[in-house]
Parts: sequence; structure tokens; C-alpha cells
Amino acid sequence: MSDVSAEIPAQSAKPTIFFDGVSSRKRQVTLALGDALEIVEEGGTPVRWDYADIRRADSPAGVLRLACMTAPPLARLEIRDAALAADVTVHCMRLDEHQTSRRGVAKIVGWSVAAAVSIVCVVLFGVPLAADRLAPLVPKPIERRIGDASEVQVKAIFGGKACEDPAGKAAFTKLVNSLRDAAGLDDDSMTAGVLPTPVPNAFALPGGKVYLLRGLLDKAQSPDEIAGILAHELGHLKHYDNMRGLIYNGGTSFLIGLLFGDVTGSSAVIFASRSVVEASYSREAETAADTFAIEIMHKLGRSPKPAAELMFRITGKEGGSALSTILASHPLTEDRLARMTREDRPASGPPLLTDKEWQSLKLICGSGKI
Amino acid sequence: MNDMQWVPIGSEPLPPPLPPTGVDFTGDRSEFRKMVTKGAMLELVTFGFYRFWLVTDIRRHLWTHTAVDGDAAEYTGRAKELLIGFLFALAILVPIYLAYFLVGIEFERWQGFASTPLFISFYAFGQFAIFRARRYRLTRTVWRGVRFWMDGSGWAYSFRAMAWGLLVFLTLGLALPWRAAALERYKMRHTHYGDLRGDFEGDGWTFFKRGWWLWLLSPIAILIFPLAPFFYAEFKAREWRWWLDGIRIGGVSLSSELPHDAFYGLYWKVIGWWILLSVIFSAYMGGSAVLVSQLSGLSAEQMFEPGNGAKGIPMVVAMVVGYFAVALAINIVMRVYLQRDLWAKVLETVEVHNIAAAADVRGSGELASALGEGFADGLDVAGF
Repeated sequence: MSDVSAEIPAQSAKPTIFFDGVSSRKRQVTLALGDALEIVEEGGTPVRWDYADIRRADSPAGVLRLACMTAPPLARLEIRDAALAADVTVHCMRLDEHQTSRRGVAKIVGWSVAAAVSIVCVVLFGVPLAADRLAPLVPKPIERRIGDASEVQVKAIFGGKACEDPAGKAAFTKLVNSLRDAAGLDDDSMTAGVLPTPVPNAFALPGGKVYLLRGLLDKAQSPDEIAGILAHELGHLKHYDNMRGLIYNGGTSFLIGLLFGDVTGSSAVIFASRSVVEASYSREAETAADTFAIEIMHKLGRSPKPAAELMFRITGKEGGSALSTILASHPLTEDRLARMTREDRPASGPPLLTDKEWQSLKLICGSGKI
Repeated sequence: MNDMQWVPIGSEPLPPPLPPTGVDFTGDRSEFRKMVTKGAMLELVTFGFYRFWLVTDIRRHLWTHTAVDGDAAEYTGRAKELLIGFLFALAILVPIYLAYFLVGIEFERWQGFASTPLFISFYAFGQFAIFRARRYRLTRTVWRGVRFWMDGSGWAYSFRAMAWGLLVFLTLGLALPWRAAALERYKMRHTHYGDLRGDFEGDGWTFFKRGWWLWLLSPIAILIFPLAPFFYAEFKAREWRWWLDGIRIGGVSLSSELPHDAFYGLYWKVIGWWILLSVIFSAYMGGSAVLVSQLSGLSAEQMFEPGNGAKGIPMVVAMVVGYFAVALAINIVMRVYLQRDLWAKVLETVEVHNIAAAADVRGSGELASALGEGFADGLDVAGF
């Protein structure tokens, strides 16, 4: 605080401009650097800013733009003369106190990493746990509603209506009922059907719905093959895998989306990380359903091996690259075949269907090719 | 130019009309590039959370280096506001997502895929977010110690956007200029600078006349891919110019002489970078595959064989690292060319007429919350 600048209003070649934050009028002012910064407009009352309250505002190069904590929030003083700007800067000790410093950035990074780590932990441990615990607690009516909704979709995709041939239907019901009794599923509302589509597959929907697609039936050579597949699907029902998957998928995609926000191109990352995480999760569920199918088939005195042979007939050898192994949602068919072969036992129970019933089951969708 | 400003307004009988003033952009390109590079890296390290700070820094840079009539603007928004807005938006969006899910189930039960139209409600919400995000940005825009501000309703805007959107859909895009004009009119008429009210004088017909042949030719661009960037650049330049020409705030008006081919270079530079980065990425992937196979003593085929899953991990890691590096580079390229360069290119063509009308404007208007920006972020509809 030199005496010289305190006495004489600082003069400069370039004008100093003041906006009072109330109107957009451009005021040409002179500054007096006393014990506070005094902004003097010709013919106006001087404005005093305490040095401690003065903060730097964003400005283009060559202009020092100041704001004051106690003035109207948009009041701005623009100093265009470098020497005068330097002079004022010396007086204002807390000029840059509000700016994000290096420490501020470190804090942001630190907290973000902590948030990311906690989200990853929740995805890896929390969500599966929540899904396991919550899935059995989902009220039956809600589960059934979700099942109804997906059933409508599935039927729209796979040829409209379930196959209706009476003899075939009787055989199918017999097969499903014996499996259900062995599985100990007490769900009265369980429905099962065959859909007329060449796709070889079978699936279970929430609310106790099991569907066999005709393509699988066409490729099957014995009732045991179909029984093993159906037992596997019943395993999914028994373990609430649909609801678990739903909770799990919803939870992880929400959390991973939250984590990555909108970093450009992040959707690919989200997709990739989700498919890795989910694949391992659903592989576990598939393995558990296989275990269940093996148990049921043993209980009925039949071998689980034919089902795996049927799968192998359809998919062939699957093991390809390491990447596709990591991403696969099902265990590889050859691994499943090997496992089921280990569990192979000579039949000790009666056949699940008579030859005649098996023939009518094969014809449940009519004899024509699709 | 500044001295002209000091002629007292209305004191002389019929002063000669002042020549239009320009808009100067003085931002240093390498400074911007450094800021964006650092920001992109921090964004990566923070799993994207740094985006709030980076977006704020970008806006602060662009705003402060934009001077109208010799006075630079200022952006007073702060990243913390955006972060809080985002968290608030999440708290609101999560129950909405849940409700969407449950309602969707009911619709699906009734008929397969009947819930698809529900998705449209998210589009409507996105339009709401766009309006509210604009309000946030405007209330943080300060020039000569007075802020811009906005009134109007986000839902009213969203309704207009949806109704016009339907018309555009039904007319296969022909109604697009009128939609743009109507929406811009709504936005500008609810825009204020202090006690000056904004308006938009561009009309759909003018826009249509400038771009109808692009609409006709657009199927060709789909067939002959290299033409697409030209078409898009043409369209954007014409749209920008039409938009700028229509802007009014109080007695102040804008005009622009943006040439129709102004953006060719920008888009092709971005595409060039994109191709270059893809080539580098492929080379990197090839190189790391060779390196990994030499280090592990496995042939490339063996590496991808089943049972060698664990040995495939270095390759996966290399891939992820490469992917992130490319995403980062593309991020920087997009921001430098499509935000900074585009901004500078457009501004250098803008002329401001009758700026004296804004010489003594009374400040007014309240600050808007960043919730709109949060929604826009959460719904992925954010501009900059």
C-alpha cells in the first residue's frame, strides 16, 4: 500500500470500465487504492470495495475482471491497463480463493474413484446378493403379470398360438406333470406348451410358464431328451432365475450407466462390461439348472445324458476363442455333455412316455413341415 | 468501436444509423486443446464424473473469449451446480424409470410390444430437459454485468416439440423448417436480457427455400456415403445462418453471412481424424497380438483356443486400454473441431445491429436451477 497510489487516483492510458451489476451501462471510472478500492465515476458517488472481498472473474487475455462479494453479484470492474491491474492484484490477497485449485481437482478425482469403486463393488457383490434374496420374495401375482407380458411377446415372435393336437397335448401334459411332481414345484398355475416354430430351443418364463419350441421336438429322438431339457427349464423356475435375472439386469445396467454417464462412446463400454458380468452370472444360473435337471432325472430313474446329446446335436462343438468363452451366457455344450455323461446311469425307472405317446407328442403341431 | 458507444442515446435529432458491430472471438486454440485434453484424461480417471467440471470449463472459455461490441461475456455457472442437478435428476428419474417398467408390463400383457409408444414419453421428457437446460445456461450468461434469463414453461415447449415432431414425421421431414421456426420462436420470446425481451423473426418458409433440395437429395447421400458429410455440412451452415438472422433482443438484431460451405472443412477434419485413429487402433491391436503371442510363446490361433482363457487376458486388457485411448482421442477431436472451431467460425460471420439499444438495460431475472441440465445429462440429450 504505497502512499503515492493512496493519494493520487491511478491514471492509465486504457480506460477502466465499471458495471454496477444493476444496469448494463458502461461506466468509465478511475480507481483510488486506499485502505479499500475506491471506484470513482465522474459525477457519481464513489463505490468502495474491500480488498478482502474482491475476487477474480473470468476474463479474456489482457483484461483483469473483478467481482466483489459484498457488491451486487454481477457488478464487474474491468481493468485493461496492465500496470494498474498489477497494482490492484497486489492489494487483493484473496483474489483466487474461489478457483478450483490443483487440490480441488485431486479431491474430485479421489471422490470419483471412490464412487466408482463402490459402484463396481455393488455390481459385483451387492446386486447379485440383492437379486438372490429378493427374487423369492417377489409376490406371485407380480411375477405372474410379468410372465403374462413376456408370454404375449414370445407368442408374437414364435408363431402365435401353442400347438393343440389333443393326443400330443395329453402326452406333453403327462411328461410335464411327472417332471413337476419330481421337482416338487407346487405352483398350481404352471403352464407348459409347444410353440410352432423351427427354432430349436426351450425356455421358462416368470410365473411358471415353460415353452418348448417345435424345432427342438423335431430334432429329439427319445422322450428322455425332451424330459432333460424340460427339467432344466423347471430348474430355472425353481431357482427364480427369471426374477433374479430381471433384478440383476435392471440393477447392473442402471449402476453401470450411472458410473459412465455420457463419456462419448461409453455405450460400447457399458455393453461390453455388462455382457461380461451378466454372462458369468447367467452361466452360474445355467449350471445350477443343469444340476437340478440331473437330480430330477435321477429321481425319475432316467439318465440326464440324452438331453445333453440333443443339445450337442443342435449346437455342435462351441468352444472358439477365449473371448467368446468369457462372453458365453451358457456353459459350453461340450462341457455340459461331459458333465451329463459323468452322471449317466442305467435306467432304473419306467419310461416317461410310451412309444405311442412319444409319437403323438412328436406330431403335436401337426405332421406338416413348417 | 467503443467510443461510438458513448454517444448519448436520443440526445441528437435523428443520429445517423451506427454501423453494425462484429463479434470477436479471441480464444486461444492451443489453450482450449490443452484444457480439453487434460479434461478428457481426468474424465477417464474419474469414470466420467469430471464431465461436469470439463463442460463448465469449456463454457467458461468460450463465453469469456466472446466479445460483443468490445465487451466480453462471462459464464457464471459452476460444476458443483451441475453435479447437484444431476443427482437431483437421478432421484426423480429413478422412480420414473420404475413406473415406466411397471406400466410397460401392463401394456405388454394387453398386447405384444404395445409398450413401444411409451418410449415416446421419454422423448417428450427429453424436450422438457432441453428447454430447462437452455434456461440454466442462459441465466449463467452475463454481459456487461447483466444476465440473460428465461421464462416460459418446459412442458409447454415439450408439447409444441412433440406436436410439431408428429407433423414432421407425417410429412417425411418436410415440415422440419416450420418446426424449427416455431420452437425457436417459443424459446426466443421467452428469452430476456435484463428488461429486454427476445424474439425470433426467422420463418419456416425462408429456411425451407434454403434447404429443400438437400431434403430431396438426401436419399442419394445414403447411397453414396462420402456425400453425406457434405450434405450435413450444407444443412448445418444454412440452419445456423437462418437461425442467427432471426434473432432479436429488444432493438438489437443479429445477422450472419455464414457461407454455405463453411463447415465442409470441419466435418472432413473430424472424419479424417476418425479414420486415422481407427487405423492406429487396428495397428495397435495387431501389434499387441503379435507381442502377446511372442511373450507367451503361443501362436495367435492357440491364444484364442478354449481352455486358454487365462492366457487370453493380456489381449483383453490391451484391447480395453486401446479402446479407452481411442475414445479419449475422439473426445478431444470432437470438442476442438465441433465445439471450439465451429463456435469461432460461426461467430466471425455475425454482425450485431443497433447494439446501442442494449447500452442501458436494467438487470432482472432469477437464476434457474441446474436440474434441467441434470435431466438432459440423465437422458443423454445434452447440448453444450
